[in-house]
Amino acid sequence: MRLFSKWELIAVGAAVLLMLVVLPCLNAFTLESSWLHVSNFTITVYGKYLCYAMLAISVDLLWGYTGLLSLGQALFFALGGYMLGMYLMRMIGDLGQYHQPIPDFLVFLGWSTLPAFWKPFGSFPFAMFMAVLLPGTLAGIFGYLAFRSRIRGVYFSILTQALTYAACLLFFRNSLLLGGNNGFTDFKFILGHDTREPATQRGLFIVTGIALLLVYLVCKWLTTTKFGKVQRAIRDSENRVMFSGYSTANFKLFIFVLASVIASLAGVLYVPQVGIINPSEMAPDKSLEAVVWVAVGGRGTLIGPILGAFAVNAMKSWATRAYPDMWLIFLGTMFILVTVFMPKGIVGLPAQLRDVYKKLTARKMKVEPAPVAANGEEPLPAKSE
Amino acid sequence: MTNAPKQFVLLLEGVNKNFDGFKAISDLNFYMDEGELRTIIGPNGAGKSTMMDIITGRTKPDTGKVEFGFNTDLTTMNVPEINRLGIGRKFQTPSVYIHHTVFENLLLSLKGPRGVFTALFSRTTAEQRDRIEAVLKTIGLSDKAETLAGSLSHGQKQWLEIGMLLAQDPKLLLVDEPAAGMTDEETHKTGELLLSLEGKHSIIVIEHDMAFVRQIARKVTVLHQGHVLCEGTVDDVQNDERVKEVYLGRKKKEK
Amino acid sequence: MGGGKNPRPFLKMHRTLKFLFSLLCGIFSVLAVQAQDAAIREKLSHAILAEGAEQPKLVGELSDTGSKIVREVLVAWTRDNVFLYDADTVKIPVLLEDQTDADGKARAIRIDNGKFLLDDKKQELRFAPTELTSADTDAALRTVIQQTLDSLALADPDPDARENAVLKLGNSKKLKNIPVLQARLAKENDLTVRRNINEAIAMLQLGDPDPKVQVAALQQLAALKSIGSLDMVKSLAESKTAAPEIVKAAKLSAETIGEHIAAVNFFGTIFRGLSLGSILLVVTLGLAITFGLMGIINMAHGEMIAVGAYTTYVVQNLFGSGFAFSINLPFSFFGHPLGFGLHLPGMNSTGWFYETYFIFALPLSFLMAALAGLALERSVIRFLYRRPLESLLATWGVSLVMQQLFRMVFGANNVQVSSPRWLQGHFTLNDVLLGYNRVFVIGFAVLIVIGTWMLLTKTPLGLLIRAVMQNRDMASCMGVRTARVNMMTFAFGSGLAGLAGAFLSQIGNVGPSLGQSYIVDSFMTVVVGGVGSIVGTVYAAVGIGTSDQVLQQVTGSPVTGKIVVLVCIILFLQWKPGGLFSIRSRSLD
Repeated sequence: MRLFSKWELIAVGAAVLLMLVVLPCLNAFTLESSWLHVSNFTITVYGKYLCYAMLAISVDLLWGYTGLLSLGQALFFALGGYMLGMYLMRMIGDLGQYHQPIPDFLVFLGWSTLPAFWKPFGSFPFAMFMAVLLPGTLAGIFGYLAFRSRIRGVYFSILTQALTYAACLLFFRNSLLLGGNNGFTDFKFILGHDTREPATQRGLFIVTGIALLLVYLVCKWLTTTKFGKVQRAIRDSENRVMFSGYSTANFKLFIFVLASVIASLAGVLYVPQVGIINPSEMAPDKSLEAVVWVAVGGRGTLIGPILGAFAVNAMKSWATRAYPDMWLIFLGTMFILVTVFMPKGIVGLPAQLRDVYKKLTARKMKVEPAPVAANGEEPLPAKSE
Repeated sequence: MTNAPKQFVLLLEGVNKNFDGFKAISDLNFYMDEGELRTIIGPNGAGKSTMMDIITGRTKPDTGKVEFGFNTDLTTMNVPEINRLGIGRKFQTPSVYIHHTVFENLLLSLKGPRGVFTALFSRTTAEQRDRIEAVLKTIGLSDKAETLAGSLSHGQKQWLEIGMLLAQDPKLLLVDEPAAGMTDEETHKTGELLLSLEGKHSIIVIEHDMAFVRQIARKVTVLHQGHVLCEGTVDDVQNDERVKEVYLGRKKKEK
Repeated sequence: MGGGKNPRPFLKMHRTLKFLFSLLCGIFSVLAVQAQDAAIREKLSHAILAEGAEQPKLVGELSDTGSKIVREVLVAWTRDNVFLYDADTVKIPVLLEDQTDADGKARAIRIDNGKFLLDDKKQELRFAPTELTSADTDAALRTVIQQTLDSLALADPDPDARENAVLKLGNSKKLKNIPVLQARLAKENDLTVRRNINEAIAMLQLGDPDPKVQVAALQQLAALKSIGSLDMVKSLAESKTAAPEIVKAAKLSAETIGEHIAAVNFFGTIFRGLSLGSILLVVTLGLAITFGLMGIINMAHGEMIAVGAYTTYVVQNLFGSGFAFSINLPFSFFGHPLGFGLHLPGMNSTGWFYETYFIFALPLSFLMAALAGLALERSVIRFLYRRPLESLLATWGVSLVMQQLFRMVFGANNVQVSSPRWLQGHFTLNDVLLGYNRVFVIGFAVLIVIGTWMLLTKTPLGLLIRAVMQNRDMASCMGVRTARVNMMTFAFGSGLAGLAGAFLSQIGNVGPSLGQSYIVDSFMTVVVGGVGSIVGTVYAAVGIGTSDQVLQQVTGSPVTGKIVVLVCIILFLQWKPGGLFSIRSRSLD
């Protein structure tokens, strides 16, 4: 089966070229005064959007493709961020305000030596390993419990929201030794490079772009496999899938763990670019925001979440600057309008407009469209006794 | 009748099920031979659907024995496990994957491994295609293979669901009111389809439409208030005093 | 311990009534008090001027007066702040005012009549403390004065002040205080104070040289379940020098008291848990209707609560100095900046009428939130009845918009909503502290639940609501105007949220994100109770509230307690995925 149609290939290729080659080059090789110049700030902002796009894909894998609306994806995103954050904190060394070999907040809490669980995070591979293992395990345990007892639909959403809420409360605590309220910040080095250098940021931007491309390709491949078909079948009629002999719980668990790891990787890439991670990143609102990106972009597609993440966040940064008092109202109104009137998001807009156009022309010609049998409509059974 | 040396394809013995004090199934005993086509009738609330739920693992019985084939205990297994033993179920309202094509619907139902990782790496073989073609022919949807199932008519969806069961090649087929909402012609065709499967599969059909029951029925079981009221041919059952009482009694109440 | 019949204990339990009562009494008693004062002042100055053995006797007699002036003067006396002014023939005892002039001189107040000391020309005299001789005291006299002061405190007309005085004496470890207390006990009428006096006497008797008295005291303390004496009793129980029978008795008493403390803590926790559960219940009940019955995931439910809370705030201001706001929009229309504002004049009421604002705020909160709910249903939710997950997103958008509107109208900071006086304070029942607001919370929750239940089961509207919620299509076929019923149901659910808001304004802060702090908890409550079951919601709310409080006690931290509760809920749903009272559905999906 072919992975891409022709126009898809062109669109994806163009986007890859723009993101991975053109923008970084314009940042690195043009003069600051040139109109072609892309500022360091822009690179960082776009890098952030790329991470958000990955997070959005993880939401869409669950919601758009499997029918599981997770309101806890930001938790996995933040967990990934925290794991890399711990590595970055170790890399500060004794350059902190207290000039101690341990992170400042630990000094502040009265520690003089590093707590045991902090020690291995001096190693980048270990931090990366944990960034996969911890969210994966948490998703595995939670998913196992939830899917085993057949928690689905709204219940799943509410439970995942409760999970991220509980985790958020936990991370706010100083006694967890992960920075409490303030989280981690003031990073200095990543793999020997100064995080504040434009070159490092550019590198991170390119790595994020490649990661997003890989995630996109893997998910694209996944949708064409039989697994992908089962996944969508679960979304449309989970009972039928179960009565066809598939243990849907296992399928859902697999996708839930996969999505959590993708979200976590997005978080890993996010932290060195924005330079801070704190518990508010896992607040219930953050997960909802990610869901909105997907809704706006168009769920059940892979382009949709990426488009949505860019569109909503670009609009958000514009609105927060232009109308600092009103932007929440804009944003909220947009969510309402999109969910009510654009259920298929930006991606579904052309088809929707086509439908509207057809309806209009059909009405003009006074031809009633043939009624389509509504799904799930149950005719009364004929009784003859 | 208990402990007969004979092997039944399906056996329910002393099964009870309460829903919050409502006795949906009480002391149900039911035996079925291999290759048999059995019809179950009974008024609303007689426990037909609950009985299907118990066989397929959707509901766990409070007490009693439920065995399939050669003494496989069904009460400890879940829905997918029971299905993989070879028990297929068709629901009253058609449940197909509306965003998949007819072909894909059948592909997902084909007999074969059901694991996550096989699903990730399996490819559709020529043999599977042939099998799907055959099923498509049986259910008369050959020309709709690439149509989205959501855009099929009601009757076609019913057939597609039967086709999905056939694709699994189950030993036991549970069919819940297949004729519901069908035109007379469609109903008749459905009857013929079921009859053609007799012998190859064991089939339980639940039905209200007595004309349809007459068309397909060999042996009829009447359920009432969660247990078997009587069993026999269509004529036997229709002449049975108790059955008349149950149905006529209901009718009186309705008026 | 029999105190006979008198109104005091009753009053003690109802400070509100007492307040009104004393207000009335106060007016009539002013005159009488003035006459009394003159006599007491006379006695005081007499005592200060007295000599020899007569002086302690006169001071002792002052202890029955229960007068503030006496206490003031006696305290000043022991600090050498009572001065004697030498008039030609007599000495006049005076106090100097606190306020001094530039020369460090102050006016002198005559103790015998409370007026300023004047010279012959009727001019006020001013003195520096060094210019006058102070009325001297010796050790013996100071002891008597102290005892008199103690007795005075014991005779204070306010039972609370008497209790404090008793407590102070009980902890003094001075055996000589026993007669003072016993003297008071003979006159005391207030049951609570009598009990405290007995407790204090027993506590003092622990230091008695006679072991028999000590044992009796220990038994008395155990019988009184005296929490305040636990430390003393414990130190006796662990004492190496005390007689064995005393140690034994002390151990027994310590055990009894310990059990009592455990019981008090337990019931206190249960009570707080019940009240927290009631808050949760009131907050959740609206959601149980909009989410449980209608299947709408209203993320703006929290904002409906805030609407109620802000309505209460506005009503309060209308009873006070009025309410005004103005908003400037960041747009302009042909050069004119756009904006709008509102000014509502206040009634500037005070006293009891001001206190009643809450009574008016309750129905208005319901109404405002119901109207907001109505608007929300008509504008957004009616498009989403078949798409529950999407209703979640759209209503979250609504929630963002509303939060911002609150910020614009009421400011980003919390606003002050004062509790009416009748919701402040507390009473104790067998040492368990019961706050009026918490008791009110519980009563209020019970009322709302009963009201909702009546509406749903006993009225035609309730019948329609249940019909539509069970099968929208069928109800529609039967001629029910489902759109209207949906509207009413949603408005009702939102109105309940508004009531909850009025109510939360009395026990916490009112701010733009008020609702956010409750939203996760309330959804969990509905899920635990079983979606669609009001009874389930009630059980779940009370259960979660109580276990939250208990776990806070056990884990010693509110946050850990909350996390444990959330984890427990997740595990609970393993066991009962449909919640406590799941509605069984026969249809597929």
